[in-house]
Amino acid sequence: MLVSQIAVEALKKQFGTQNAVSDVSFTVDAGECVVLLGPSGCGKSTTLRLIAGLEPTTSGRIQIAGRDVTGLSASGREISMVFQSYALFPHLDVARNITFGLEVRGVARAERDQRLAKVAELVGLTPYLQRKPSQLSGGQRQRVALARAIISERSVCLMDEPLSNLDAKLRHDMRVEIRDLQQRLGMTMIYVTHDQVEAMTMADRIILMKNGSIEQIGMPHELYDRPASTFVAGFMGLPPMNVIAGDDGADLIGVRAEHITIREANSAPRAGVVTHVEYLGADTMVSVDCPGGVVVARASGQAVKRGDTVGLAWSNEHEHRFDLATGRRLEPRQTQVSHFVSN
Amino acid sequence: MRISRASFASALTLMAILTGTQFAAADTEVRFYYPIAVGGPLTKIIDGYAAEFEASHPGIKVKPIYTGDYIQTTAKALTAVRGGDSPECAIMLAADLYTLTDADAVIPLDDLATTPEDKKWLAGFYPAFMENARVGGKTYAAPFQRSTPVLYWNKEAFKEAGLDPDKAPANWDEMREDAKKLTKRDASGNVTRWGIQIPTDGNAAWLYTGLTTADDVKLINSDGNKTAFNDPRAVESLKYLHDLSYVDASQAKGLTSWGTTPKDFTEGKVAMIWHTTGSLGVIRKNATFGFGLGYLPAKAHFGAPTGGGNFYIFKGLSAEKQKAAFEFIKFMTSADRAADWSIQTGYVATQPASWETPVMKAYVKDVPQAAVARDQLQFAVPEVTAHESARVTKALNDAIAAVMTDSKSAQPALDEAQRQAEIALKDYR
Amino acid sequence: MQSRQSTFLALAMALPAMILLVAFTHFPIIATVVDSFLSTPKPRRPSHYVGLDNYNTMIADPIFWKALTNNLIYAAATIPVSVALALAMALVVNSKIKGRGLLRMAFFTPTVLPMIAVANIWLFFFTPTYGAIDQILSIVGMHATNWLGSTQTALLCVIIVAVWKEAGFFMIFYLAALQTIPPDLIEAARIEGADRWQILRRVTLPLLGPTTLFVAVNAVINAFRTVDHIFVLTGGGPDNATNVLMYEIYLVGFGFFDQGYAAALTVVLLAGLALVAVGQFVLFDKRVHYR
Repeated sequence: MLVSQIAVEALKKQFGTQNAVSDVSFTVDAGECVVLLGPSGCGKSTTLRLIAGLEPTTSGRIQIAGRDVTGLSASGREISMVFQSYALFPHLDVARNITFGLEVRGVARAERDQRLAKVAELVGLTPYLQRKPSQLSGGQRQRVALARAIISERSVCLMDEPLSNLDAKLRHDMRVEIRDLQQRLGMTMIYVTHDQVEAMTMADRIILMKNGSIEQIGMPHELYDRPASTFVAGFMGLPPMNVIAGDDGADLIGVRAEHITIREANSAPRAGVVTHVEYLGADTMVSVDCPGGVVVARASGQAVKRGDTVGLAWSNEHEHRFDLATGRRLEPRQTQVSHFVSN
Repeated sequence: MRISRASFASALTLMAILTGTQFAAADTEVRFYYPIAVGGPLTKIIDGYAAEFEASHPGIKVKPIYTGDYIQTTAKALTAVRGGDSPECAIMLAADLYTLTDADAVIPLDDLATTPEDKKWLAGFYPAFMENARVGGKTYAAPFQRSTPVLYWNKEAFKEAGLDPDKAPANWDEMREDAKKLTKRDASGNVTRWGIQIPTDGNAAWLYTGLTTADDVKLINSDGNKTAFNDPRAVESLKYLHDLSYVDASQAKGLTSWGTTPKDFTEGKVAMIWHTTGSLGVIRKNATFGFGLGYLPAKAHFGAPTGGGNFYIFKGLSAEKQKAAFEFIKFMTSADRAADWSIQTGYVATQPASWETPVMKAYVKDVPQAAVARDQLQFAVPEVTAHESARVTKALNDAIAAVMTDSKSAQPALDEAQRQAEIALKDYR
Repeated sequence: MQSRQSTFLALAMALPAMILLVAFTHFPIIATVVDSFLSTPKPRRPSHYVGLDNYNTMIADPIFWKALTNNLIYAAATIPVSVALALAMALVVNSKIKGRGLLRMAFFTPTVLPMIAVANIWLFFFTPTYGAIDQILSIVGMHATNWLGSTQTALLCVIIVAVWKEAGFFMIFYLAALQTIPPDLIEAARIEGADRWQILRRVTLPLLGPTTLFVAVNAVINAFRTVDHIFVLTGGGPDNATNVLMYEIYLVGFGFFDQGYAAALTVVLLAGLALVAVGQFVLFDKRVHYR
């Protein structure tokens, strides 16, 4: 029987009268990497801290490895965690930083040294074990934090925006490395980030949060291809999905830039004036001011100029519909007939 | 030598700034330091005297400067003298006589008392007060706020203990017996009223001199350079004081507080106390029972120390300033002023003439206790007045404290005090 | 040329501070050392060179030894107790408890009160029979105790007042240092399974190292310097039971005006303090982590 490694049920957290997290439920399977994604203030970090036991819950239940840990303190939850700031102990050298947890838990010296050697090798810190954190680069510090999480050999690892203090290049490398380690070591991971690219590349599943609630849970392609709301549509992908007013004025229409073809103005269902042209090499992003809103389309090579009047078309299967009032997705089945738009 | 002077200089300069250097206009300014050692609105009284003096002596301005207790006042004055910025005059301990003459800080008043009238004034004080005002035939001080300790007793407590409320214990044995009878305990053995309290913190040597004088021993010679701290009778006196606490249990153990003793008495926590006449005012005000005031009890004979402060004039000032200071001192110590000061504070009026003034006569009629202190003066000797006075007195006080906390017995404690006094005084013989 | 000018400028800017230091620190120290080899001027004998006489007097002086012993007891009690108490109070008021502001104020109040005022308050507490302490103890049926008037308890009383006064002051340094410790570090330690005690010992205390060194040096200096309350409470008595070096120096220097002996006592105190301070820095500097 496969038990989910982490189960969160109706989790709620209030700071004063402010709802930071309201009614959040999800599960994480063993060996899965789940990314908590959302803009700042959406409650993703708070959710992570509740799971870690760093904040008491207002209500709800948290289970880890089949054990109810809601009332347990952080030290009793047997998890590991990597902090955005790395949270390295400045007075201890790299080796003692990594083995800190083993020491306080009374793991014998010989075993500590053995595990340390293995983990240091794994993350490439072997030459730096005697250094103090202040003598390391940002990337190296990140690796120490990672090593501290790995050496604990705990099945659950929580990561709170671990890459946000690194530069772009390093961030990419570390992303790959962390994902690789997670998969190789079979770690169950909850990873918090506000960067949708990071989420897309690392996650088995993404939990997108907004205002303390879950907006959508799914695999990366599900969120991209079938966004549950205009918020998801707007958050995932670069550029985000275009969302414009429908012809009938009752629904919103969503369509991705790469699904739009630019045509002659009179041969397309929609037409507008080009307001902006962004040349990116392989692609060109064209902003068109249509009735219903500005639409960004991806063109390849066409010579469209600012001020041109162009027509826009997309295939039916690439059109998403959202409720005007709630922003929630409307399934095509319901809309197929009444809102059919031909090529 | 040069450096050692200079090392004091910075501190002295600061001190001078703090005490406030007043620029002198055409008027001659007399700055005078005074300590406060008893309760009451003394600053107001002193300021009033100064104003009266200024009104009757045009051309002289008086600036009274409050300088803390006696010890602080002497320290400040000597520091100012060494800094070259001494005041014109000051009230300092009578017992500091040698300290001040040794420091070459003060001048003999005889130099200024040239007229027959001045000489008469200087001869007018009680001899007991003048004993520690003279060195080598010269008079350096004029008595001002002088006191002597007396015995206060609670008449109601006496009645309750079956004693004659109008009769104070006349000698040591009587006081000891009375104290035992006056000590009251509750059911659980806690003392609710002590029989006697002779306060021993602070300057215990003063009241102790009341015992030694009665036991017919002089703790120090009149040259102030030879002590008799471990004389058998001095030892006997200290043992008597000790036994009140530790044998009779009629006095609280450990050091008892000079400051709270009048309150302990008026609150009924103790039936008899030894304290300065200066506390008469406070006790009169607060006592809710009849109380008596008597001589310190006799051993070989009656005896008591004198204490308190005298006026001194500093050296190294212009003749004009010294003259002005001298006028001020004469004014402050005149018979009328001494009577007024005595009535207002409880200090003993310093000269027979004061007691002949109408106000004083009226006061004594109203408060007959006031005359007891005066009458006791015939048995009085100066308190320990030595060269190196602070050091010698501390040696004695330490010995008393050691005995009264039961950490040493009288003989070795006083031997040690004598040894220290010998070391301190060897340069003055 | 340029560098000579900037050297001159630097000197000019340092001059006011240097003048103050020289005038009020260096010169007095040198003068004190010189004075300690001179006799105190007496009416019949001006000050003259006496070699080590003042120091020999000191060795033979039971009061000096008493004051030194008292001072060591006083230091041995006040330093660890006030530092530990300061740390404990800082930890309490740094945690999320109700009435934290009020507690902070309560702990810090003794520090802002002038020592003389503090001593006068305690003088009342210690008063036999009427005093607050005896009043409280009488409820549980204890006899009146002559706290300050007994050689057995007087030093203890003086120590208690010093600890009460100092701890709040040191607490402020600890509190400030605690607030600069990133909460992440404590959280990371909790995640790693450390309990409160382990966090205190392995994370908080090492990070407070520089503060502890600073506080300890100050505590040592204060243990030999803070005597204001002794003036008010006991005047060094009874029978020198609460006499400490600084108080003895005051007595000898400004009570007895024995300049030579006071200078010798001062030199001994200064040398002792300097030795302790240097020792503390040398000993702990390597073990203290500076962020």
